[in-house]
Amino acid sequence: MSLEPTFQLPEQMSTSAPHIDNLYYFVYWLSVVLFVGIVGAMCWFAWAYRTRPGHKATPTPHNLVLELAWTIAPVPLLIMLFHWGFQGYMDLSVAPAGAEEVRVRAFQWGWDFEYKTGESDSKLHIPVGRPIKLVMSSNDVLHAFFVPGLRTKRDLVPGMYTSVWFEATKPGQTDLFCAEYCGGKSKDQNGNELDFAQFKGHWAMHSDVTIESEEAYQKYLDGLGGNKPPEERGKSLYEKKQCIGCHTIDGSKGVAPTWKGIWGRQEKLSDGTTITVDENYVRESVLEPNAKIVNGYASPSVMPTFKGTLKDKDIDAIIAFMKTLKDK
Amino acid sequence: MAAVDLPIGGHAAESEHGDPNAPYYSAKKGWKSWAYTLDHKRIAWLYLTMISIAFLAGGIFALLLRFELWSRGKTIVDAETYNRFFTLHGGIMVFLFIIPSVPAAFGNFFLPIMIGAKDVAFPRLNMLSFYVYIVGATFALSSIIIGAVDTGWTFYTPYSVTTSNAVISMTFGVFVLGFSSILTGLNFLVTIHTMRAPGMTWKRLPLFIWGMYATGLMQVLATPVLAITLLLLIFERFFGAGIFDPKLGGDPVLFQHFFWFYSHPAVYIMIVPGMAIVSEIISTFTRRQIFGKFAVALSSLGLALLGFLVWGHHMFTAGMSEFSTMLFSALTFFVAIPSGVKIFNWTATMYKGDIKLVTPMLYAMGFIFLFSIGGLTGLFLGMLSVDIHLHDTYFVVAHFHYVMMGGTVMGFLGGLFYWWPKMTGKLYNEAQARISFVLVFIGFNVTFMSQFIMGSRGMPRRYYDYLEQFEPFHKASTIGSWILGAGLFFTGYILLSALFKGKKAPPNPWGSAALEWQTETPVVLANFRKPPIVTRDPYDYHLATEAELFDGFPEDAPKVAAKPSEKTPAKKSTTKKKDEE
Repeated sequence: MSLEPTFQLPEQMSTSAPHIDNLYYFVYWLSVVLFVGIVGAMCWFAWAYRTRPGHKATPTPHNLVLELAWTIAPVPLLIMLFHWGFQGYMDLSVAPAGAEEVRVRAFQWGWDFEYKTGESDSKLHIPVGRPIKLVMSSNDVLHAFFVPGLRTKRDLVPGMYTSVWFEATKPGQTDLFCAEYCGGKSKDQNGNELDFAQFKGHWAMHSDVTIESEEAYQKYLDGLGGNKPPEERGKSLYEKKQCIGCHTIDGSKGVAPTWKGIWGRQEKLSDGTTITVDENYVRESVLEPNAKIVNGYASPSVMPTFKGTLKDKDIDAIIAFMKTLKDK
Repeated sequence: MAAVDLPIGGHAAESEHGDPNAPYYSAKKGWKSWAYTLDHKRIAWLYLTMISIAFLAGGIFALLLRFELWSRGKTIVDAETYNRFFTLHGGIMVFLFIIPSVPAAFGNFFLPIMIGAKDVAFPRLNMLSFYVYIVGATFALSSIIIGAVDTGWTFYTPYSVTTSNAVISMTFGVFVLGFSSILTGLNFLVTIHTMRAPGMTWKRLPLFIWGMYATGLMQVLATPVLAITLLLLIFERFFGAGIFDPKLGGDPVLFQHFFWFYSHPAVYIMIVPGMAIVSEIISTFTRRQIFGKFAVALSSLGLALLGFLVWGHHMFTAGMSEFSTMLFSALTFFVAIPSGVKIFNWTATMYKGDIKLVTPMLYAMGFIFLFSIGGLTGLFLGMLSVDIHLHDTYFVVAHFHYVMMGGTVMGFLGGLFYWWPKMTGKLYNEAQARISFVLVFIGFNVTFMSQFIMGSRGMPRRYYDYLEQFEPFHKASTIGSWILGAGLFFTGYILLSALFKGKKAPPNPWGSAALEWQTETPVVLANFRKPPIVTRDPYDYHLATEAELFDGFPEDAPKVAAKPSEKTPAKKSTTKKKDEE
């Protein structure tokens, strides 16, 4: 079977895809035969026994043999279909020993892929020809990891780990979706509609999977964290961890306070007190977004907690990045 | 099957409910006679009015959704509004329209007539169920005013514990609606057991009644679980009970188990009544006994039983153990057996029939066509490894619309056209009705066939926006929704214009042998002037007398003695129908 996309199914990019596609097309043609048989018979009878002068319905006796035949005949077929589906499912459930683990965290509304190096990204890179196991959890509500090209899908459930594994068969780039509804946001704290570009939600958790050669993968891992200065690391975290979705850095109004000139700014809080933005306030807001909310913004905050997602080193990098965003 | 003079004679004289021999809609007058009515036929009309409004509202949300998806980016509404629209579309269609649709409207009107009873067993409970429905609907829809729900009709936790408070009002509404459903189901079960006319043996029970019986069992046994689930959800929100929310030590997957333990049987609460109508229509318009009637009746009960055992197939990717996943997949495949039995037997009934392709029959055949697609695509989803790819995509959306809309709604529309002359005493315009069927049938297939393809190509459901590669399919689907919408609005026009200015209908315009067509039109308050004695099966065309199958006005009938025990085959040709214009 070709790896190219067919009319009904996308390109095959993993070792499990041929199994799933073969089954899909087997059931498809089986269904076509059954459907044509049933609907064909129905239409033929509707024509052949149409009402017309001199034509009458003829009673037929009960036919136990026929009745039993179409009750029992499908059973072996159904057992076969169940067996094939289950077999494939078990293969997909048990990751081979030595599969490389990637830790996946989903949140409203984005992905965080943490590699064995401890560095993380919002996009997934995987090497070709090697089993990869994703160990997944959710920070807030249900999400689902869905890559049509890899024929893989699994829910991410808060409070428990789920996992999938796959082995990519060819290099390339393919789409990654969230498949479990997880809400959306298109209005600011005052109920005013935002620009389309600022809409967030379930559909906007679209990301990419890049399947690449072993060398390119290693190069990608090296380039992820490495020896970049903290401000640059902070900038890339700002983009990858979806801070960018709500906090602007050009001073324009967003769902959350802008970061332009944030460092050292006096913020009036929702409880009436005033606070100066410093290292402790930023750290607290990243870990406990609801602790101190700036007056005029949604309470409780729509920001997810980054506890467990951002390490101390990452928070330091974000602080370093904030310090560069001076109000001119 | 004809009414026979009983020694006790007819009904008692005029009671507080009105003259038992007057048409049911004019036996008493004034709005109070409707608001406080205990007559099952009037309650059926109250229900039919409300569920038609619900269908209209759910349909308008569907058209808005499809219009938003016409193009990428924002077309008419923002993302939050879109999420509310699909929640309302699903919630209204499932809880306010499909679940009550056939049982509450046609079940109420025809169940007592079809078994030869004067009314249901508990007329007051019947009235109560309608008002409980109104209260539930009010709570559910007041959530729109309070702040709108955006959880989807499934209310999955933990999202539903964190989002707007309107969730409480909506789930409480659904909780209340459940009681309406339980009362209707209970009432029907008792009525079928205790109020059958003399001679209406279990063996002679019409298949519509068997369908109502299976539905009643599911309503009574499954709905309480939904009530418990929704109550727990409300507890979770009010008191932080920690049952479903992982932050409080709860388990979000538990909610899915609870929810689908009701909502899967609910799928059969929706489809079995649709199938029940199709059996009636097919027998009437092929003029034959339903082939394998006993097997068809058993398959309804089989679906009711299996409905309780397969809820887990909604959760194959949700994080269940491999063992339960295997069990649910295996059990799910058994659903194909009773579904197949029905389809095969209906088709076999048409063999050697005298088939009249009028609108109700077209809808019954439409049901077989669309439900076959809905059922066969269920095979894809039942196979575990294939489901992994298809789960939560538009393939699933298309699959359940083929079953729910292609099945239940086609059965419902077929039932409307089939029974409209009996319910209203008026004939609809057959030519217009056929055009409306063609519009509905084509519109439906264009809308949802394109969703199968984009789904298997990887388009996830409940998406406000989509990638460029899915645009042609979304465009096709939206165009289909306009054709479908036009067909349904036209259907509404045809039925209403028949009601207000249609020609007077004879008692048995289809020449059906079934009992509900043997009573006069308009139906009298007590259903039959003389309590009927049943002497044959409702589908025994070869045992029915010519007078019973006569399809004009009784005053024009040839003078044939209507002897119920006479076993001469009907000789009458049915080609000269007065209702065809």
